[in-house]
Amino acid sequence: MIDFHLILDKLPAFLGGADGQPLLSTSDGIVMTLQLLGASLLLGMLLAIPLALGRVSKNRLLSGSVWLYTYVFRGTPLLVQLFIIYYGLSQFDAVRDSWMWQYLQDAWFCAILAFTLNTAAYTTEIIAGQIRTTHWGEIEAARAMGMSKWLMMRRIVIPSALRRALPAYSNEVIMMMQSTAVAGLVTLADITGVARRIYSDTYMAFEPFLVAGAIYLALTFLFVWLFKQAEQRWLAYLAPRKH
Amino acid sequence: MKQTNAAPATDIKLRVADLHKSYGSHEVLKGVSLTAHAGDVISIIGSSGSGKSTFLRCINMLEHPNSGQIQLGGEELQLVADKKTGALRAASHKQLERIRTKLAMVFQHFNLWAHMTVLENIIEAPIHVLGLSRDEAIARARKYLDKVGLKDVEGKYPSHMSGGQQQRVAIARALAMEPEVMLFDEPTSALDPELVGEVLRVMQDLAREGRTMVVVTHEMGFAREVSNHVIFLHKGKIEEQGNPKEVLVNPQSERLAQFLSGSLK
Repeated sequence: MIDFHLILDKLPAFLGGADGQPLLSTSDGIVMTLQLLGASLLLGMLLAIPLALGRVSKNRLLSGSVWLYTYVFRGTPLLVQLFIIYYGLSQFDAVRDSWMWQYLQDAWFCAILAFTLNTAAYTTEIIAGQIRTTHWGEIEAARAMGMSKWLMMRRIVIPSALRRALPAYSNEVIMMMQSTAVAGLVTLADITGVARRIYSDTYMAFEPFLVAGAIYLALTFLFVWLFKQAEQRWLAYLAPRKH
Repeated sequence: MKQTNAAPATDIKLRVADLHKSYGSHEVLKGVSLTAHAGDVISIIGSSGSGKSTFLRCINMLEHPNSGQIQLGGEELQLVADKKTGALRAASHKQLERIRTKLAMVFQHFNLWAHMTVLENIIEAPIHVLGLSRDEAIARARKYLDKVGLKDVEGKYPSHMSGGQQQRVAIARALAMEPEVMLFDEPTSALDPELVGEVLRVMQDLAREGRTMVVVTHEMGFAREVSNHVIFLHKGKIEEQGNPKEVLVNPQSERLAQFLSGSLK
């Protein structure tokens, strides 16, 4: 039987209100998941745009380096990347003695670093793919109007590529949200982390993970809806004419 | 080369001299020259593969000629040989970009920026290349949209318009640069027959205003009635040129006579 009493009792824990504390008194649960997701998506996008330009560059060394980066981060599990950054790096004295250590000993920082590098790799490939498929005529028009290469990139190629990248990027965001579940394995209390804590406190597994799953589902629904709005706004030019 | 209209030399807007262009061992332009005085409308005709589009695209360096000179309004485009390809390229990006702003181009496939509305398409380069304020650019855009006969289209996306409307937007976009010379690369070839007329009428209006235009075209009616000079290209060479009313009515070369009998009804 499902213990509905346990579910109701523990529900506030997913919103930072464990053990009778007021809601949001900590950032445990949904807030932690959204923090990790939001920070890594934002930083990942800021990295991905210049990296995508490097990826499509004619300079072999540059495009090769970016290729290697995306290949490594897309070719290994996120959990392995997180463990290497959080547990692995600490075994080197040079790391522990450096200024970086104050950040690298912090699980929250390490999780955001790993998630950022991971999502940036996927996003780089998504954007680079769209840059490559920019219609050549639009590029010729920009050149014929006297645009410099950089101006053309900034005003024509990147805005166009980012719009066309939206559908693929919405998948990346949803995948990334599910992936933040591994944060619990480096002591962070994200949605899955809270569910694991309830499990270890009560030895009840079904209920907390059912609730965690339902929250992820609801968040996914929200993101799908948000991206639909964004596509209606920024990809209107691809939609069939309505009149 | 001899022009039929006698304009003073200072009136020369565009001079292209002895342009050569090869793709590998295949020479597509074998020394083509052109001089456009202010107000000239020059039609370039010829069968496909004659090199007419390549010639036009060399003028603003969308294609790289192997030799030749290009002068716009007395300013010579500085060209240097590229070490890798051997073709010429602009010695200075800055100069090429400046010259391109004075050489607006209208393409066969319009090449509007698909993600931008009509208004955004037209104000983009005036703001970001010429440095106009947004208000000035919008005022220009409205003026030229009106000139090409388009109303209530500012917020539309190109993909939601007919080909003829898109090409007129592209002409308005070119006009908004207020160029010295306008280059048209087969501007009606991608249009449905019933849409050709609306674009040709706009071009005829521009010609009447005294704009300097170089037009690669298959429209013999336009070449005969609107342009004051016609160049017939054949296999990368100028086979015949002159006043269209003479050249097209009474061709001297057999090639042109053959070409005209194929395209005139």
